[in-house]
Amino acid sequence: MAEPILTAENLVKYYPIRKGVLRTVQGQVKAVDGVSFDLLRGETLGIVGESGCGKSTLGRLLMRLEKPTSGRVLFEGEDMSNSSARALRRLRRDIQIVFQDPYTSLNPRMTVGDIVGEPFEIHPDAVPRGGRRKRVQELLDLVGLNPEHINRFPHQFSGGQRQRIGIARGIALNPKVLICDEPVSALDVSVQAQVVNLMEKLQDELGLSYVFIAHDLSVVRHISDRVGVMYLGKLAEIGTEDEVYEHSTHPYTQALLSAVPVPDPTVRGKRDQIVLVGDVPSPANPPTGCRFHTRCWKVQEKCSVEEPQLLVRPDGLGGHESACHFAEPRNVLAFGAGDEPLQPTV
Amino acid sequence: MTTQETTVSTHRSEYQPIDGRLLDVQDLYVEFHTRDGVARAINGVSFTLNQGESLAIIGESGSGKSVTAQAIMGILDMPPAKIPGGHIYYCGQDLLSMPEDKRRKTRGPEVSMIFQDALSSLNPVFPVGWQIAEMFRKHRDMNKSDALAQAIRLMERVQIPAARERVKAYPHQFSGGMRQRIMIAMAISLDPAVLIADEPTTALDVTVQAQIMSLLQELQQERQMGLILITHDLGVVADVADRIAVMYAGRLVETADVFDAYAAPAHPYTKGLIDSLPRLDQKGQTLRTISGLPPNLMHIPPGCAFNPRCYRAAEVCRRDVPQLREVGIGRHAACHFAEEVLHG
Repeated sequence: MAEPILTAENLVKYYPIRKGVLRTVQGQVKAVDGVSFDLLRGETLGIVGESGCGKSTLGRLLMRLEKPTSGRVLFEGEDMSNSSARALRRLRRDIQIVFQDPYTSLNPRMTVGDIVGEPFEIHPDAVPRGGRRKRVQELLDLVGLNPEHINRFPHQFSGGQRQRIGIARGIALNPKVLICDEPVSALDVSVQAQVVNLMEKLQDELGLSYVFIAHDLSVVRHISDRVGVMYLGKLAEIGTEDEVYEHSTHPYTQALLSAVPVPDPTVRGKRDQIVLVGDVPSPANPPTGCRFHTRCWKVQEKCSVEEPQLLVRPDGLGGHESACHFAEPRNVLAFGAGDEPLQPTV
Repeated sequence: MTTQETTVSTHRSEYQPIDGRLLDVQDLYVEFHTRDGVARAINGVSFTLNQGESLAIIGESGSGKSVTAQAIMGILDMPPAKIPGGHIYYCGQDLLSMPEDKRRKTRGPEVSMIFQDALSSLNPVFPVGWQIAEMFRKHRDMNKSDALAQAIRLMERVQIPAARERVKAYPHQFSGGMRQRIMIAMAISLDPAVLIADEPTTALDVTVQAQIMSLLQELQQERQMGLILITHDLGVVADVADRIAVMYAGRLVETADVFDAYAAPAHPYTKGLIDSLPRLDQKGQTLRTISGLPPNLMHIPPGCAFNPRCYRAAEVCRRDVPQLREVGIGRHAACHFAEEVLHG
């Protein structure tokens, strides 16, 4: 097994809620509440979850765009949480990020050349001054853009092309880890596939490790080696792509998977449906015990009292980590072959 | 609901579906006149919708699917929009040549619409119950308290918990999924024959999306509405639609029964869309893609609009616009090589 390149250790991020004239702290939004995992060298770790589950905050914590409330991030064994600004700057060369929205994450008044070349201003030793323009053009070529468009502005590109610009900027410093925060969610289907393929190609060519944050479970399965499922600031389940999708043991993962529409009308009515009631509770006031217990279809008394730990639990194969007292494998993607529609589990 | 149903049946006498046909859109054109030129958003679209049928209109951004919906609903801003040609027959009457005051009376009781973004579609300064009740007050001349009672009943129907207490709440006090339920309640309040849902679940999480789609399906079956579902999500379509219509650059490129279309698409664009999807239930290899980008609507390529991106493009595709023609039982495609795409 490859060694970990990036390690999250019990990461916690609380945002204070201030109210009143004196802006006194009235509570905490528990955006990320104790997340630990390893990212192995050369792999893609997918992070999925619904909006508000803390996946984007996690991404920002991993590259220290946010300072964690507690916990730490280790890069190649080195603790980033106590690094000086200088050391952090050096570390950020190795960890870069691609943002979701290609419309707001590129400065509209800078040319593509300036945007992709900006990392070289901050890290002047990366590429000698005279070679920068050539290097930017190489990068544009690498991500499938015309190198001659170096003097154009972001508005002259389509959404998919802008996301390629964001990726070119992300890989400009030859990072080892790329954090991708919903990199394809703003794109149309046909363009999304192009960008996903590009990311896979770059990973092979440059030996990158990805943390791929997205809400689209199909895209995440396609690109990831391992997948973590988040719910209200915590990991509900983490394992290899096969373990999480085909042998999931956490009721939340199972419900999530059963809710994703599959583009195949022949499985209509033959799918294992788990219907969740209600909405995700507020992260400012998460439920006691297991955070999922208010919506869970397997809930028992113990769940509201005792918080389940993320432990290796049997999944029918060997086992993988899941945070449920009543973890039990259920393959919700094995579509029924019979003509009888399955009764939904509520 | 009994009182409401009797009002509906007397009211609907003016519009009766012809052979079960509710909508008949014929050769519709829409263009937008802007400073930079004329954007041809819809270029000759024809389709029909029957009672109780779910028709999904799919396509990427800019393909004209939302504009089609807005033209049917009669809510395009004109100018800049202009409808230089076409007919939209609702139960045999052309909505486009109808006087505005008559047409206004069709919005709600006959044709109704749900929008993608419930937060910006609801009025933030009025309680949700008031907004639902307004439908009954304006269209049914109900008094305030009766209208509010109807609003509560509808909120219960769309499964909003504690409807009686929440009727006075404002849109921002609801979650995204609950707001979408309020919009659905408003849209079905006058028991429309046609419901248009424009990306109803795009802004929602998957677990909530599943709830909303099953609610929509249930309501459609209960009321035998014709449903036009506008979406780019081929997964949602596979779950709910009877028939699909695929749009590209303002034209229909394929219409078919949903099972036929997914099993064997007859247009290279439809095929490309289905092939470029990662699958939840399979770990795939490299995704197949459609090269290039959708065209700028001000400069649609000559011939078939899809030809610069098409793997099959030949000389004829760059010259002649392919017409939507029958290529199998109940299926149509606008491709010079549709038979080959379909069978090969």
